[in-house]
Amino acid sequence: MAAPRGWRLVWQGCRLLHTEPSAAPQPPAPLYPPVVASYTAKSKSAKRRRLEYFYQQVHEAPSIAEKLRIYGRRQRLKYVVYPQTFSLNADRWYQSFTKTVFVPGLPPAGAEPAGPGLPDLSELRSLACDALLQEHFYQRKRERPVLYREQQHVPAPFLTQLVSSLTAALGSCNPLLTTSCLDLKPQVNFYWERGETVVCRGYRTGRIDPVRFQIDDKPHIQIRVPKQLPEFVPLDYSDPGEVPVINHKPDKLPLFKRQYDNKVFIGSKVADPCSYGHTQFHLIPDKLKRERLLKANLADQIEVTYRANGIASLFAWTAAQAMYQGFWCEADVTRPFVSQAVITDGKYFAFFCYQLNTLALTVQADQNNPRKNICWGTESKPLYEAVEGNNVKGFNDEILLQLVQFLLNRPEQL
Amino acid sequence: MAGLWWPTRPAAGALRAWGPRGPHRGKTVQVPRRPLPRTPWTTRGPPPGAPLPRSWQDKRPVQEQIPGLEQVTYADKQYFVPWLARPRHPHWERGWHDPRHSPGPRYEAMPLYKERVCYVCHQRAKMLEGVRQALWLTKTKLMEGLPPKVLNIIDESANQLENQDEKVQNAISHARVWNTTELIPKRESYCPVLLEDLLHLCRTMASKYPSLSKRMLARDYKVAATWERESSILQVRGLNGILLNAINPLLPVASKDEILATENHILETFHPISPTIDLQEVNVYEERNDTGFREGYPYPHPHTLYFVESANIRPARFKPEQLRAKMLMFAFGNALAKAKMLYGDDPKVLEHPVVVQSIGTEGRIFQFMVFQLNTTDLASNDGVKNLVWIDSDQYMYDYIRYLPGIRKKVVKFPPGIYGYRPDTFKKFLALYLHGAVQDSTQTKIL
Repeated sequence: MAAPRGWRLVWQGCRLLHTEPSAAPQPPAPLYPPVVASYTAKSKSAKRRRLEYFYQQVHEAPSIAEKLRIYGRRQRLKYVVYPQTFSLNADRWYQSFTKTVFVPGLPPAGAEPAGPGLPDLSELRSLACDALLQEHFYQRKRERPVLYREQQHVPAPFLTQLVSSLTAALGSCNPLLTTSCLDLKPQVNFYWERGETVVCRGYRTGRIDPVRFQIDDKPHIQIRVPKQLPEFVPLDYSDPGEVPVINHKPDKLPLFKRQYDNKVFIGSKVADPCSYGHTQFHLIPDKLKRERLLKANLADQIEVTYRANGIASLFAWTAAQAMYQGFWCEADVTRPFVSQAVITDGKYFAFFCYQLNTLALTVQADQNNPRKNICWGTESKPLYEAVEGNNVKGFNDEILLQLVQFLLNRPEQL
Repeated sequence: MAGLWWPTRPAAGALRAWGPRGPHRGKTVQVPRRPLPRTPWTTRGPPPGAPLPRSWQDKRPVQEQIPGLEQVTYADKQYFVPWLARPRHPHWERGWHDPRHSPGPRYEAMPLYKERVCYVCHQRAKMLEGVRQALWLTKTKLMEGLPPKVLNIIDESANQLENQDEKVQNAISHARVWNTTELIPKRESYCPVLLEDLLHLCRTMASKYPSLSKRMLARDYKVAATWERESSILQVRGLNGILLNAINPLLPVASKDEILATENHILETFHPISPTIDLQEVNVYEERNDTGFREGYPYPHPHTLYFVESANIRPARFKPEQLRAKMLMFAFGNALAKAKMLYGDDPKVLEHPVVVQSIGTEGRIFQFMVFQLNTTDLASNDGVKNLVWIDSDQYMYDYIRYLPGIRKKVVKFPPGIYGYRPDTFKKFLALYLHGAVQDSTQTKIL
């Protein structure tokens, strides 16, 4: 079959050579569309073309909602990342998944925006103590909470009360908070691809596939604002820290694969004007309680739980905000995105700040990308020592001040 | 002639009521109107001297009527046989006390057992007669609309937020549309979100009125109040809505003269129906009066009760009338518990009436209520009555459109909120501000 076709080509070529005019004028514009590789063939160029077509579709999407839909349209098995996890040393894994550098301590304080001064600290302290005492002592509750519902019994209503009353009290100092939106138990989702793996089973065995991740988070409360928070460090700031490299499959963490809708969601749809994050408040679940970890002789994992939660939740939330502004892995962010989080079990509070410098996490986009995401975090410290009867012992003002400073964070001009 | 009996076919696609099936489908039959049937004697009772119908007569089982007749069961077969009777075996005794399988003590053996029945109103009690029944049970006089004190707050333009309508519409959209990744959120999720969003908007007024920050929300608290009403004992018990507590009590809404004028009011009765219908009858109970908070609570005065009616399925949901009745009962319960704590258990006319507000919603329709407890002497129908102002069925908006309505390739109806009414949130805000801005308005009136 091949030989006759080859002969025919040669013959046609001869004929063309003979009939072609010797000096053809150059046409001003190409009359025909460019010759491109096949879209459907089983070849490398076809595969590349399909990928380019997909990128083009996402780039040319008419609206953000449509862009997100096309971005997450293809469903494949993906690793489901749980921010609140029992896995050992999960924070290092999560850093490598999200290309995050963890820096202990809080970010350098920028220039304080001019505004009305801090409200009276004693007032705020009395507000916090009242909320604490109401849940611990004054409100009559059942003596012993239901098993594994202890967090819902006292710490959850305390945190809700604390955040809502502090937000209301600080509204005069930070006008951003008066335009904010307070979500109780919102849904936060993020879907991304990072790294490559070889497909090990199925008819696609042996092919290269990106590793997909999904976070489905449920913070206890979050505050969303219509204006973006100021950056902590410039976009191209190179942090001395390194992103840990882990040469194992995520299955070993363990992470498990599931297939369902790829969702990108900040707690509200794209049409909401409050589309930037301010602060999230997470409650550590009963199964990851401090006493439980101490009993299991895992004292070193207590802070790891907080860190892993901070890194994963903040990455998901901040990256989803960036995607709501039209950025994605092939169109990297042009300005950094910033969010804050407070992680608590009702008594111990840890503070985290996150700056998203890059969304280009896929292998193709990450080839010459020096940017890294940065997460700052503190160790957890107790807000109070004990509640005995109707008085709080050893109330720690530092924690309250830190909380107030988080809430007072705002951009220069409103 | 036939045309009279078989009128013309209804328009194609019209909703068809009951009609003949088969070849005569679509033709409505007009039967000449007959006189209504007489009341059957089963409803009126048998005529004197007549025997009872067979179904009413006392029937004994056949085995008892004919001695020596035994029921044939499938016990010996040891498998199920449809036409044989089901065997009844004697109850098997374990021989030792197993707490997991113990039926517990009988009601009569319980220490709190009492001969006298108590009628309990709890959060799932749907009252048949609605507000009328609640008015009778709480000995209350109904006033339509909100009290003038609250209306003054609404009229004041300083008591509004900046861009109030835009913010409220954003809150509604957030609850009804933006809250979920799905197209349409469930009622169970959007109702609490709407209430929380509106409360958050109200809280932002704290920068204007600093006394507003001295409020506290209590979410899962339990209230207990007991009172006597015309030979029956009644209770309001258990979990109810979200309670907003304040440091200072609400001042009485009605003046002394108005309170004294309620002596002439006659409570409405609904005779054939018992006033305690649909309340739970219990024999094991404790006569308790409890606000749900311990002594020394820094925010001791109940301010507003918020009820969210968010059941997904319609039979479980409270209708607006039933919701109003529940709101009234629980506002009364909270006020009564507070009054008994302040003034003791003896029934008397209160010097300083206790005022509790209540707001209920099912995601769209809002019910506003201001209750003033004037007296704890509830047993008799005479004397001073309590007062309640109810502003019922206030729509926040008419409906939400999730998808655009397109006619001939033109978007006729864009998605969004339709029929938004700004007055409803003004009332919501006014009830929130009630205690905080009371003084300024009063001085203005003086």
